Amino acid sequence: MGADRSPKKKKGGTKDMDDLKKEVPITEHKMSIEEVCRKFNTDIVQGLTNAKAAEYLIRDGPNALTPPPTTPEWVKFCRQLFGGFSILLWTGAILCFLAYAIQAATEDEPAGDNLYLGIVLTAVVVITGCFSYFQEAKSSKIMESFKNMVPQQALVIREGEKVTINAEEVVGGDLIEVKGGDRIPADIRVVSAHGCKVDNSSLTGESEPQSRSPDCTHDNPLETRNVAFFSTNCVEGTARGIVICTGDRTVMGRIATLTSGLETGKTPIAKEIEHFIHIITGVAVFLGVTFFILAIILGYSWLEAVIFLIGIIVANVPEGLLATVTVCLTLTAKRMAKKNCLVKNLEAVETLGSTSTICSDKTGTLTQNRMTVAHMWFDNQIHEADTTEDQSGASFDKSSVTWLSLARVAGLCNRAQFKAGQDSLPILKRDVAGDASESALLKCIELSCGSVRAMRDRNKKVAEIPFNSTNKYQLSVHETEDPNDNRYLLVMKGAPERILDRCTTILVQGKEQPMDEELKEAFQNAYMELGGLGERVLGFCHVLLPEDQYPKGFAFDTEDVNFQTDNLCFVGLMSMIDPPRAAVPDAVIMVTGDHPITAKAIAKGVGIISEGNETVEDIAARLNIPVSQVNPRDAKACVVHGTDLKDLSQDQMDDILRNHTEIVFARTSPQQKLIIVEGCQRLGAIVAVTGDGVNDSPALKKADIGVAMGISGSDVSKQAADMILLDDNFASIVTGVEEGRLIFDNLKKSIAYTLTSNIPEITPFLFFIIVNIPLPLGTITILCIDLGTDMVPAISLAYETAESDIMKRQPRNPARDKLVNERLISIAYGQIGMIQALGGFFAYFVILAENGFLPSRLVGIRLNWDDRSTNDLEDSYGQQWTYEQRKIVEFTCHTAFFVSIVVVQWADVIICKTRRNSVFQQGMRNKILIFGLFEETALAAFLSYCPGMDVALRMYPLKPSWWFCAFPYSFLIFVYDEIRKLLLRRNPGGWVERETYY
Amino acid sequence: MSSSPQEQNREQKEEQKEEQKEDVKEEEVKKDMKPEDNQNQNEERKAEKWEENKKEEPKESWKDCIYNPRTGEFMGRTASSWGLILLFYLVFYGFLAGMFCLTMWVMLQTLDDNVPRYQDRVANPGLVIRPHAAEISFNRSDPTNYNQYIQNLHNLLQRYNDSIQERNDLCMVGEYTEQDNEPIKKVCQFKRSMLRQCSGLRDSSFGFAEGKPCIIIKMNRVIGLKPQGDPYINCTAKGDSPLRMQYYPSEARLDKMFFPYYGNKAHADYVQPLVAVQLLLSREDLNVEQTVECKLEGTNLRNDDDRDKFMGRVVFRVKVSE
Repeated sequence: MGADRSPKKKKGGTKDMDDLKKEVPITEHKMSIEEVCRKFNTDIVQGLTNAKAAEYLIRDGPNALTPPPTTPEWVKFCRQLFGGFSILLWTGAILCFLAYAIQAATEDEPAGDNLYLGIVLTAVVVITGCFSYFQEAKSSKIMESFKNMVPQQALVIREGEKVTINAEEVVGGDLIEVKGGDRIPADIRVVSAHGCKVDNSSLTGESEPQSRSPDCTHDNPLETRNVAFFSTNCVEGTARGIVICTGDRTVMGRIATLTSGLETGKTPIAKEIEHFIHIITGVAVFLGVTFFILAIILGYSWLEAVIFLIGIIVANVPEGLLATVTVCLTLTAKRMAKKNCLVKNLEAVETLGSTSTICSDKTGTLTQNRMTVAHMWFDNQIHEADTTEDQSGASFDKSSVTWLSLARVAGLCNRAQFKAGQDSLPILKRDVAGDASESALLKCIELSCGSVRAMRDRNKKVAEIPFNSTNKYQLSVHETEDPNDNRYLLVMKGAPERILDRCTTILVQGKEQPMDEELKEAFQNAYMELGGLGERVLGFCHVLLPEDQYPKGFAFDTEDVNFQTDNLCFVGLMSMIDPPRAAVPDAVIMVTGDHPITAKAIAKGVGIISEGNETVEDIAARLNIPVSQVNPRDAKACVVHGTDLKDLSQDQMDDILRNHTEIVFARTSPQQKLIIVEGCQRLGAIVAVTGDGVNDSPALKKADIGVAMGISGSDVSKQAADMILLDDNFASIVTGVEEGRLIFDNLKKSIAYTLTSNIPEITPFLFFIIVNIPLPLGTITILCIDLGTDMVPAISLAYETAESDIMKRQPRNPARDKLVNERLISIAYGQIGMIQALGGFFAYFVILAENGFLPSRLVGIRLNWDDRSTNDLEDSYGQQWTYEQRKIVEFTCHTAFFVSIVVVQWADVIICKTRRNSVFQQGMRNKILIFGLFEETALAAFLSYCPGMDVALRMYPLKPSWWFCAFPYSFLIFVYDEIRKLLLRRNPGGWVERETYY
Repeated sequence: MSSSPQEQNREQKEEQKEEQKEDVKEEEVKKDMKPEDNQNQNEERKAEKWEENKKEEPKESWKDCIYNPRTGEFMGRTASSWGLILLFYLVFYGFLAGMFCLTMWVMLQTLDDNVPRYQDRVANPGLVIRPHAAEISFNRSDPTNYNQYIQNLHNLLQRYNDSIQERNDLCMVGEYTEQDNEPIKKVCQFKRSMLRQCSGLRDSSFGFAEGKPCIIIKMNRVIGLKPQGDPYINCTAKGDSPLRMQYYPSEARLDKMFFPYYGNKAHADYVQPLVAVQLLLSREDLNVEQTVECKLEGTNLRNDDDRDKFMGRVVFRVKVSE
């Protein structure tokens, strides 16, 4: 799919598009300030004259990004009206009208069925179209609320005076001033700067603020220090510069324009629905043509046969399915919105679930965000942490004095605490207020040493210096447990090497020993080993402050530190990991603007490059051979520099993506990100891209699903994305994956359920044609099933809980795991549907027989039966019937057939609850489903017994016994499918699974 | 993210190298900026090739779809796979057919041979006319024009031939012929000759040749039906001018002795009573379409259903031309 799309896009792309894909054409950074001034006719001190500014403003237009061309509302509406599934229904409706036209032209009194059916089909499409249109309009309203919240201001110097103007009025050549906290209003060439730092992260992805100065430091305008870019932020300092580009001509503007020009492909669910339509159409046309030929052979006229053909094809259209699918997706979208995932496009709801590749620079996406202590090092030994709830897995002596000291330091020098009211929960499941690593420590200590709060109560905190990035440690001072000991205990934790630097002694086997080279060596080895596991290591130390210097009541000043913070005693190391999410697709590609080295380190840290996997460079280093001699196939991981990407051919790119499971792209430009996404799609992957910066937006747009940040994300990225995390919490993505997979499973169930009743709806018509019996089920009753009784149960399946841990599953393979496959059709049409049809026919035969028409009399009766002028049709007992009398019986049969379908659909909805498990394992906890069962029964009873229904819908009251005709068949469906699922579970991969597991 | 100091050292070195490399590359990038178009074209060409490859593949797979010689698959399945699935469906449908037959058999066992379980839908019998047509239109001077009508009437009256009816019993006039418990049900006599001018005996054209056609009205048979009162047929012309009509047997009575009916098994030779109505059209009635409505009256049976225009009544049109 991706393969044929990307070349097309390149071919189709206008010259503008190619131009945008090129790197930035800024040259001003290499000019001297005077040259720049000359170019823009501006003055370095006075700035532009107001006249000039006005002239430039007229020439260049306002300094704002052109909003992406918004699709007109009616186009959006039409897209809902004619997209995907609707086409099937439209075709059906048109065929109906065609059939009616033929009938009207050839018959005196044409049956209105085809006309009604056509009208109903049209109504269904229009109503569902309106529904999804309004649903999406609601999301886009939320989107609009993001836009232009605060009008930007800029400080410009014109005619020597500082004026604050609207950022839109800034023109090229303007002399402007920015200070810390400002948003840079345009691309500017810095002319003077004082400690100015800018945050380019939204543009390049680099997270570190970079300093700006008037000197050209790099040929690349993105790298050089003397250019600051539109919509990036000035973090600190001040700078003055000349505007060189405004609006769409800025670097940011170019990316935004590139983004809005990209075409996006179909969502996976749209492809699945297309595939489904193909299958349904195939079945419909096959059946239609078969019976067309049969009808001709049986001697029907051509016109009659054509009407039959159309009738059969239309009968195959599941009228209610469009609405069901739409409602199911909407429900999921609502559920996700509750968890702060805003889905802009309904169909994108499922996409995350089938995502096989995630391109992300946000490592939080990929891990469970549940830091746990994995190892600790004390007494010169690495111990594995015991994370079991009952502490059964203890691997070390818990009575060791060193351990107790370490636990005390970890417990005291820790600001995390359990949230209240969770005492009944297992420790590992409690919520903690505090940062990830402190929470990990807290849980670890609580598990092994009991209540940390009690420990903290015993050792009252006197002073505390929280962690900051300059000193890279955290310390606190406590009173000791022993009331007679008036000394203070100082505990400290932080980056191991920083902690070690402050220590002169080390605690070994409970004894303080001087830190000698040997012990330092041991520390280094342990540190390296734990670090090599990709774990986050913290060092711990403490000291008992001498009482003579720090007597009781000593005022510890944490601002101006007036106590010793060195000559401490080293206690040990503890290392934590954030386990990668089990469900994260195994192909995670890290795409970042960071340096390769940093990127690789982070990748290793979060397990994108997992333990034991080496890059080509690693192998070369290990074997001491040049990189060129290493077989690239040996390396599973790889780090690709963004600039190398340019030189790669498509094949090479495919090669990299195919042969490496762990890939890190570093220093990537927006264009390169786009290439990466296209590459993955070319290989058949379903790609999710997460990002917040403008630089991510082309990739976001191109991706199968782009996920943007609601708070930190830029407007452009939000426009480009399909999904927005309103609270910026990446854990929501996991919700998205889960919901996506669940809805995919449940849609399968809904479709299986809905399709099944197609068979009992079609077969009556077929038998009507072939064996000339009175019509067992009419159009109105079919519509009552499809759009009435089947709806709520089908929708209720969307509320079904997962059968197994869907997060442990591999993402689905879009080539193999289809929404609707031949096995589903085989089960629904070939097996369950057939049983249902028999149930309906049984009810039909019972009613006719009990009214006097035995089955033997019925065969071949059709022409007389439907002849209005025959008013003395004889039944099996010799009684004679008028047309209207027998039609009432026929319509009673329709009603009974309809009720029978409801009865067998009870069993069907229950078996469709699960695809593998027994219903007894799954339980009947789905309240909506139970409601659905009652609702469909009540509706059926209403349609049958409500006075006036005989005139309105030609449905007649049934005798109570006729309700029970289909019961044996309903029971058979249940038993049959339970047996099938039992065999399925007993023989994994066996014949039953291969043939019937959908 | 912490990493060991040594690693950091190494990283720093690499970083320096990397930066040098980068500088070089950056220059290349600049040079590359123009040739990029070239590269794009290259990519395009490659893509085209790719597409060509793709196009070739489906051809192969299209044939493979029918029969794949490598795997021996026919329509995506091997012979044994086809065998298994077909066998499964054979057994499955066989079982279903068996189950259906069983339930049908059980149901049929519960039925009575002589009386249907429910008769509520035929509680009020319908009326029909012979000849069988909603509009009887003919030229009285052209026998071929009305031959089909009189043929239809002759067919109907075949069973009422006096020779056949003579074998049947004479019953009590004005009384139901109830014989619920008798094993052999007797049949009441209804001779064709009772219809006189409309019997087709003396005038085999049933008056069609004279332009005064006979229409025979019969009431639908319903098992066990016993009309109360004194049922008779009353026909009215719906035109402005009243139409003269002659009923046979006189008074157009449907005698109670012909009820109840016991079904075609027990009451095989039963004939239902008939009423013939002869439309005595005058000269001026010719070439005019006459609409006649006949109703069953004098009983509790309904003849005014909104929907069912044949329940206890019948409407027909007659047009006689010269």
